[in-house]
Amino acid sequence: MTTQPHEKTLEIRQLNATLPNGMRLLRDVSLTLEPGEVRALVGESGAGKSMIGRAVLGILPSAVVHSSGDILLEGQSLNALRPKTRRSTVAKMSALIPQDPLTALNPVRKIGPQITDPLVRIHRWSRDRALKRALELLERVHIRNPERVINSYPHELSGGMRQRILIAAAFAPSPRLIVADEPTTALDVTVQKQILQLIRELQRETGTAVLFVTHDMGVVAKISQKVTVLFAGRVLEDAPTEAIFNDATHPYTRGLIAATPTPNATAEPFRPVPQDLIAQLQRDTQAEDMRFYQGGRK
Amino acid sequence: MTYSPTPPKPPLFSVRNLRLSFPDHAHKPLFGAAPRIEVLKGLDLDIPEGRITGIVGESGSGKSTFGRVLVRLLEPDTGEVLFDGQDISTLDENALRPLRRNLQMIFQDPMSSLNPRHKVWRIIAQPMKRYKCGGTREDAVNALEKVGLPADFADRYPHELSGGQRQRVGIARAIALQPRFILADEIVSGLDVSSQAQVLSLLQNLAREMGLTIAFISHDLSVIRHLCDEVIVLNHGEIVDCGPVEEVFSNPQSDITKSLLSAIPRPEIDESWFN
Repeated sequence: MTTQPHEKTLEIRQLNATLPNGMRLLRDVSLTLEPGEVRALVGESGAGKSMIGRAVLGILPSAVVHSSGDILLEGQSLNALRPKTRRSTVAKMSALIPQDPLTALNPVRKIGPQITDPLVRIHRWSRDRALKRALELLERVHIRNPERVINSYPHELSGGMRQRILIAAAFAPSPRLIVADEPTTALDVTVQKQILQLIRELQRETGTAVLFVTHDMGVVAKISQKVTVLFAGRVLEDAPTEAIFNDATHPYTRGLIAATPTPNATAEPFRPVPQDLIAQLQRDTQAEDMRFYQGGRK
Repeated sequence: MTYSPTPPKPPLFSVRNLRLSFPDHAHKPLFGAAPRIEVLKGLDLDIPEGRITGIVGESGSGKSTFGRVLVRLLEPDTGEVLFDGQDISTLDENALRPLRRNLQMIFQDPMSSLNPRHKVWRIIAQPMKRYKCGGTREDAVNALEKVGLPADFADRYPHELSGGQRQRVGIARAIALQPRFILADEIVSGLDVSSQAQVLSLLQNLAREMGLTIAFISHDLSVIRHLCDEVIVLNHGEIVDCGPVEEVFSNPQSDITKSLLSAIPRPEIDESWFN
């Protein structure tokens, strides 16, 4: 697995996802991710940010009936693959850091096998090698006593520890792509900072590309190099992080940044995104849907 | 006759040497009692009337436990909790009943704290009926208007609302009883930034208009800074910082407060943040 990485780890081309009732979840979403890059997907709840991550991993809810467009992992079109090959390709190249570390871990199994199983079954490693790697990674995520932890059950560990374990599990096979779905939303600020730091360290070391789903513009500013701003499943703005924070072109992006509270004293503390802007965006989206359905699918 | 300013109001809550512990069943010996974990280790503080007091700390600091003692969902081991001069720390359920109306709560997760089978107006009206202070559909609609929701929301079910709207219903239910005290436990941590800002500015306006006394539990110092008048920082069941928000933020005394402040990711590019 030491082949030269493809110039684009991930490429999403005009991805659409629709519910059976015709409601569109993703609208012509396109984006690319280069090796070693962190791209933040931001938007409010319902904007479709988690949906993109799930589409890439092939774990969209079964209710999503129709999706068009293509996803390329390391230049390999996933559409071109048979479902079984597609699943194994995605499993070998990518990993997920989920939001809720308690539901993501199996409560009746010890930590050790939960990290090593994918390494053995998907990556065909020997048990010994997998175990060694698990211990190594647990140490990397600053877990003090890895030998004890792999023999623990999830309920014996704190939320921050569990999230670190999931990060270790995700990075263990050195995947090309990691989808991090709001990995710090459930955590305290101090633990959040440690976790962000870890993701950054590991990601820089391994050259893994990360698709980082979040709604916190503060986190975006710290962790990402590129940002995709989503509204109702539509890409509103796609730019380098610096450009987003120094001069965002879209008023919605500026609204999101302004709505993020900071501990500085300000005259007007709580600034939600203006209602008329949201109404305008909703009208735009509807108009686009009309064109989409009248024009037929491309 | 000399002019005397109005005397400062006595605090609504006076807490003295409050201690609380839970049994630690993970380390219970086969025979005998489980060892106890101290969650609150002797808190002394006042909560002033008509103001918003923020309670911050990391998870496990005891902030929610402390809140639950204030509204007497938990009984402390020792210590006094004076509510309006009356010690409520050891009252039994019967004696507490007349006070319950004055000790209201807004919960973190509105989906699990609003009955999914009831329409919004019933959710708001039921406690009003219970405490004999109204309880008609009209009363509920009035409360809805106060939190900025139109009257036609009265006939909706909780699942038909967005997260921010549900949290407004939770607020409406609490303020409809005109309580002396409201405990708000992490009420915006489940919301995205924009609805968070909406709910917080609503709460701030309501507090000003109605002179509410609120204890606002949060782990988010940025929110506390803008919403609260006073702040208490807890760590492992002890107070490490307290005072007016301005003071604590501009001159934090403890390392805990400092590290909480520096861990906030601000929405600006700053390469040195991680170091």
